Amino acid sequence: MTESTEVVKINKWDGAAAKNAIDDAIREVFTGDLKCKESFALIDGRLFLCALAVGVALYALLWDYLYPFPQSRLVLIICVSSYFILMGILTLYTTFKEKGIFVVAKEKVGNNNRVWEASSYVKKHDDKYSLVVVMREAGGAGGAGRCREASVNKSFATYIDVNGAVVQSVVLAEITKLYNSLSSEKKEK
Amino acid sequence: MLDSLFDDVKRMNKRQFIYQVLSFGMIVSSALMIWKGLMVVTGSESPIVVVLSGSMEPAFHRGDLLFLTNYPEEPVRVGEIVVFKVEGRDIPIVHRVLKLHEKNNGTVKFLTKGDNNSVDDRGLYAQGQLWLTKKDVVGRARGFLPYVGMVTIYMNEYPKFKFAVLACLAIYVLVHRE
Repeated sequence: MTESTEVVKINKWDGAAAKNAIDDAIREVFTGDLKCKESFALIDGRLFLCALAVGVALYALLWDYLYPFPQSRLVLIICVSSYFILMGILTLYTTFKEKGIFVVAKEKVGNNNRVWEASSYVKKHDDKYSLVVVMREAGGAGGAGRCREASVNKSFATYIDVNGAVVQSVVLAEITKLYNSLSSEKKEK
Repeated sequence: MLDSLFDDVKRMNKRQFIYQVLSFGMIVSSALMIWKGLMVVTGSESPIVVVLSGSMEPAFHRGDLLFLTNYPEEPVRVGEIVVFKVEGRDIPIVHRVLKLHEKNNGTVKFLTKGDNNSVDDRGLYAQGQLWLTKKDVVGRARGFLPYVGMVTIYMNEYPKFKFAVLACLAIYVLVHRE
């Protein structure tokens, strides 16, 4: 158990808040209990795109201030079009690259590097929290990389108690189960 | 109450917090970029203005939203409604062109008057200025939307209300996750 769970108190009928709280709990399980190392490349990529877009807008604002409008026309055209292109790229990035992945955890098992990706999805006005965990394994000595996937689809009520606190032990049990089944499946084959 | 308001923020890690700030920045910059884009498309430094006075009644009333264009190749003509700036005044004026003189080399000078005013605008111009020229023009009215601008007028009349609304929106966006 971690300290932060004591503070968390959420309304489980607020879908976004419940999802965020459970996501955080799962991240903690991966980085804490399972001793994986979190990789920030995915979220850093998104932050970079966002920062670039805001930077472009600020640049346009500054340029327009220094060289009032008719003069700044060309720079404005470039900035405005690149801003909207960046927004498009950001949308593509979040829908096709991130796909709701909220934690990427790396783990070294023997010579193999395993990467765990957890993504979650909640429909609007629905209490079902669907969690997908993907395990990618770089194929150690020349073997092809493996990729396995498991999902759980349960109500928020499974993870959150009546007081609105995320029950870390339930989350831990759920993730451990997924973790073990994905890890062992590999050995059977 | 306030404590629980910031709960979301407290629980965020560094990256989530940066993202929260950046997404707030993106909301602001999207609005800014749309405005700048409109400037480029219409050629006017202020493509949308709000009518603040009744001097153009019955054509425009206080609170109407005007859409402007300012293409250099389109000549100014008598009878058109132009939005112009006068030195020493912060707020542009929306009035109709009354008289216009055009030279062969394309330079124009013109006089304006509000439809609802009994005299022309010479009294409004800067000291000693008798005519307006192209560089004074912000744009020409191309379309309007009645009453929508009243929101802006109220906001400007009660700046505290405006800042309160803006602050609430900003806090909501910053504090609320996704």
